[in-house]
Amino acid sequence: MKYIIGIGTYAMFDDSIGIRVIENIVENNLEKGFLALDLSGNNLNLVSYLNSDTKKILIVDSADLGLPSGEFRFFTPEEVVSEKCLNGFSTHEGDVLKTLCLAREMGYPIPKVIFLGIQAFEMKNEFGLSDVLQNNLKNYVQAAINEIEKN
Amino acid sequence: MTNIHIDVHHLTRVEGHGNIHVDIKNKKVEKCEWRVPEAPRFFESMVRGRHYSEVARVVSRICGICSIGHTLASVKATETALGIEITPQTKKLRRLLKHAENFDSHVLHVYFLVAPDLLGAPSVFPLVATHGEVVARALRLKRLGHEWGSMLGGRTTHPTTVLPGGFSKFPTIDELKALKEKMLAAVPDLLETVKTVQALAPKVPIFSNPTEYMALHSNDEYALYDGDIQTVMPDGKKETWKVSDYKKVTNEYVVPASTAKYSKNKMASYAVGALARLNNNFAQLHPEAKKIAELYGLKPLNSNPYMNSVAQIIEAAHSFHESLAIIDDLLKTGINDEELVKPARFGTGAGATEVPRGILFHEYSYDKDGICTDGNCIIPTNQNHANIQRDFDKLVPELLSANKTEKEMTLALEMLVRSYDPCISCSTHYLDITFIK
Repeated sequence: MKYIIGIGTYAMFDDSIGIRVIENIVENNLEKGFLALDLSGNNLNLVSYLNSDTKKILIVDSADLGLPSGEFRFFTPEEVVSEKCLNGFSTHEGDVLKTLCLAREMGYPIPKVIFLGIQAFEMKNEFGLSDVLQNNLKNYVQAAINEIEKN
Repeated sequence: MTNIHIDVHHLTRVEGHGNIHVDIKNKKVEKCEWRVPEAPRFFESMVRGRHYSEVARVVSRICGICSIGHTLASVKATETALGIEITPQTKKLRRLLKHAENFDSHVLHVYFLVAPDLLGAPSVFPLVATHGEVVARALRLKRLGHEWGSMLGGRTTHPTTVLPGGFSKFPTIDELKALKEKMLAAVPDLLETVKTVQALAPKVPIFSNPTEYMALHSNDEYALYDGDIQTVMPDGKKETWKVSDYKKVTNEYVVPASTAKYSKNKMASYAVGALARLNNNFAQLHPEAKKIAELYGLKPLNSNPYMNSVAQIIEAAHSFHESLAIIDDLLKTGINDEELVKPARFGTGAGATEVPRGILFHEYSYDKDGICTDGNCIIPTNQNHANIQRDFDKLVPELLSANKTEKEMTLALEMLVRSYDPCISCSTHYLDITFIK
């Protein structure tokens, strides 16, 4: 099984881009050969998809990549270190990299994991999406599908 | 020790952002505040103009943890407004879904947010090395909760199958059997959880601050999905109200220290959540859950807010055993592919359900075309804010009298807030990373 997983929250503007990509895939019936899942902020639920028959997981999330707003980049967990200083670990304080790290330490089977990080324009307590991310939404969806279809 | 300054900005291991501010000068408490700096989120405005079939999908986004509860409260309110009477099968499936959310959230809170305090760790990560089996068990139970909810709701976060009038998709008999097998396989983990919490219970701070406890109450069962509003006062007196009268008991108001609304009923504050439910409905707990409560020495009325986390484990066991009984019942009766019950009228209605953090109210009005014209949501965390402040007001002088250090006081206050399991508002989950390759 292959999964595209969206992370984020609708209530924090561009932080919602990951789950908007999932929403778009589902609404347009684009799930072919993979499942599109909205984990919102429940990063810990990722462990439910770390199974021996999981071939690949693509995680779509907003990210601070140092890129111009709206641009995106694929990367693997091994290529990055999280700069988040976390005293705790909860659905509101953590990131999916930390969940992967925890799962790896606990011996869960870790399939091929790729991140699609999308550079946010603005994070704020507001619903919606910046124009630059909204205008590129279809590009993110297509990029995610192209990536998950690769072996 | 004469001067203490505590300024915990964005308290960790709670869902959302809350700040603790304490100033003590010459052994005199000058300031002691629980501050909630959340921004307005305008959900009530967002549902206006939406068709009744869309409203639950919108408001489930209020919370990524309690999205099942928000969905259920929303469809219940809509069904009341629209004169929809759901079928017994729908009620059973919703009860099963509600138990999944409570189980999942309680496991998350106790293992990942509270246990590090009791084990002297800053987070769950250091526990991998020192308490690996506990972390492994926590992940297994969390996974069970997620899969349990996903099977019924389509997904646990923002469920898709729950609609006004029923379900859009039903679990199959095979899926129910598979869930039962998974649950039975998890019994040893549940029993070990009970033992772990029992071992940690002596580390739960001793503190008492009697208050008014509010929860749903039903004559039929330990109320989670449905019931009337009930409060129990420190002297044990109980009073009930209809859910439609929820504004008479919540009485929202604002305070200068917070942007979130506060609530009060008969006393200056009231508490909601697992401990409030136990204090109101203890007699209706599943016998297996009651045995665990006896093991922990927890019985009503318990006025130690730190015991809310212990109450959550009792409730997790209750949800587990009640759900096995519901599954057996469904396996016996079979699952019918029922159509959604259609509206009989359009008007105003309120609905309530118990979410992990306490009683949750939704209310909507619909015009003749089924378009929402007004909405109101009162979440449990906001109902607890005044009680947290009231606990601070009692606890800080007690800690001062006991000559606690600034560090000890900070931890005690942080643990107090965490015990309420507040879910303040959604934060961001973006990745902040540096490339190393």
